[in-house]
Amino acid sequence: MKSDCHKAQAKVYNYLDGEISRYRRWRIQRHLRRCPPCTGGFSFESKLQQRIREDCVDDVPEELMARLTTFLRQNGPTDTSADPTAGGSDV
Amino acid sequence: MADQATFESDVREFIPQLYSAALRMTRNPADAEDVLQEALLKAFRGYHTFKAGTNLKAWLYRILTNTFINKYRQKSRRPSEVELGELEDLYLFKRLGETGTGGASRSAEEEALDQFVDSDIKAAVEALPENFRLPVLLADVEGFSYKEIAEIMDVPIGTVMSRLHRGRKQLQRALWRVAEERGIGTDL
Repeated sequence: MKSDCHKAQAKVYNYLDGEISRYRRWRIQRHLRRCPPCTGGFSFESKLQQRIREDCVDDVPEELMARLTTFLRQNGPTDTSADPTAGGSDV
Repeated sequence: MADQATFESDVREFIPQLYSAALRMTRNPADAEDVLQEALLKAFRGYHTFKAGTNLKAWLYRILTNTFINKYRQKSRRPSEVELGELEDLYLFKRLGETGTGGASRSAEEEALDQFVDSDIKAAVEALPENFRLPVLLADVEGFSYKEIAEIMDVPIGTVMSRLHRGRKQLQRALWRVAEERGIGTDL
C-alpha cells in the first residue's frame, strides 16, 4: 500500500466525522480524487456509519410511552439543587 | 435556567432516541426502561440546573449515560470483554473485497453491506465492550461530536477518539464473522 493511501486511511474516521483540520481535509480530498480504491473504502465506511444510524432505532412501546408521560406529569417541582449530570466522573 | 413546567414538552421528542440508546446500553428492554425512567426522573429534578439555550440533547444523554454506568457498570463487566489487538484501517471493506472475484466493481463491497440485516448491525453494536459501545453509539447513532462525547462520558477527547476508532473496527470484525458464516461477499 502506498504511503499516501496509508495516511488517508488512518484518518478515515476523523475525515468522515468532520473532526479534522482544513488542511488535512484538503490533502485527503486531493488523494481521493486520484485513488479509486481509497475512494471506494471511504464510501464504504460512510455507508456503514449510515447503516448503524438507521438500524439502531427502536420504537418505544406504546405502553411505556404512556407510563413515562404519566410519570413525568406526576412528578411535581422539587427544590433539590443536585446537578443530575454529576456523579459519573469515575468512567 | 430551564423551567420545570415545560420539562415534559421539551424532553418528549428525545424519548424515542433515549430509549433506543438505553436498549443498546443495557441490551434488554426491562433494564432499558429502568435506566430511561431513572434518567428522566433525575433530569426532571435537576432541570433548573440546565442552562436554557444550551444543548438539551447532550445534557439528557449525559444523564442517561451516567445513570447506566452507575447502575450497571459492575453487572455488565464480563471476562470476555478483553481488548483485542489493533485492526487495520478499512477492515471490513478489505475483507469483503478479498472474497470477490478479481474484477469486482467499485460498489461490490457496498452491495455486500446490503446483505446484512438490521439485527446483524444491532447485534454487532451490542456485542462491543461497554467502553467501546458507548462512543460508537454516541457518535454513529446520535451524531455527537468528539467534544460532546468527551463531556457526556467525562473522559478526555483523545480517549473518545481512540475508543471510537477501535470500537468501530471491532464492530467490523464482528460483521465480518457474520459475513463468513453466511457467505456474504462471496458471490460478488
